[in-house]
Amino acid sequence: MEHSLGYNLGMLMAVLVGALVGVGIVALLFKLKVMDLTFDERQERARGQAYKYGFWTLMTCLLLYGFSDMVLGRWCDVLTGVMLCVAAALIVFGSVCIVKDAYLSLKEKPRTIMTLLTVIALLNLSIGAMNLKNGRVVKDGVLTYGAVNGICGVLMLTILVVYVVNYLLAKREAGE
Amino acid sequence: MKNLRLKSARAALDMSQQQLADAVGVSRQTINAIEKGDYNPTIKLCLAICKALGKTLDELFWEE
Repeated sequence: MEHSLGYNLGMLMAVLVGALVGVGIVALLFKLKVMDLTFDERQERARGQAYKYGFWTLMTCLLLYGFSDMVLGRWCDVLTGVMLCVAAALIVFGSVCIVKDAYLSLKEKPRTIMTLLTVIALLNLSIGAMNLKNGRVVKDGVLTYGAVNGICGVLMLTILVVYVVNYLLAKREAGE
Repeated sequence: MKNLRLKSARAALDMSQQQLADAVGVSRQTINAIEKGDYNPTIKLCLAICKALGKTLDELFWEE
């Protein structure tokens, strides 16, 4: 679907303003010490390894996506395809961090973060389900941007499941 | 290799892993990993642990 130049410029401005407001809010939270991402030396090292795995997952997924687009033709919007790759990389990064006990910073409370993840996952999955019901996910055989909420929901849910499984396994190991 | 000397020094002061972790500014899992021998701490962390437990580096970390 083609849009006018004014519409595209408006969308670009909206994204930029949204991003600026987001950065401002996060900066304020850090300044007020509401957010404190301090990790100890072992966690920093583990997160470095997780970041490396996440980076190579992103590279691999982007290559596979580009190759599939070339071979199969357009099967999803470019931004949706990129979001799929980013989600895969974040799942790898998050899972490695969780397994290495480096997902939460020293100040973060597991219950708060898990509640937040659950709320975000449910919210995104609900919007994703609504989009699916209204036929906004696939148009003319192409996965559209309407699928992004579902992708984010699955991402959050996967990280949540990995965290809970890891927590239960650690608890069982501590009890043995 | 497990660091049993660290574990016994901590236990002698009746400290939990969490209490020692709070004293030296790391997570409980990091203290657990050091005691299990899964993580080699930096000299900076070794010194902080020694100060918190009132021991020397040799007493806690030197391998015979």
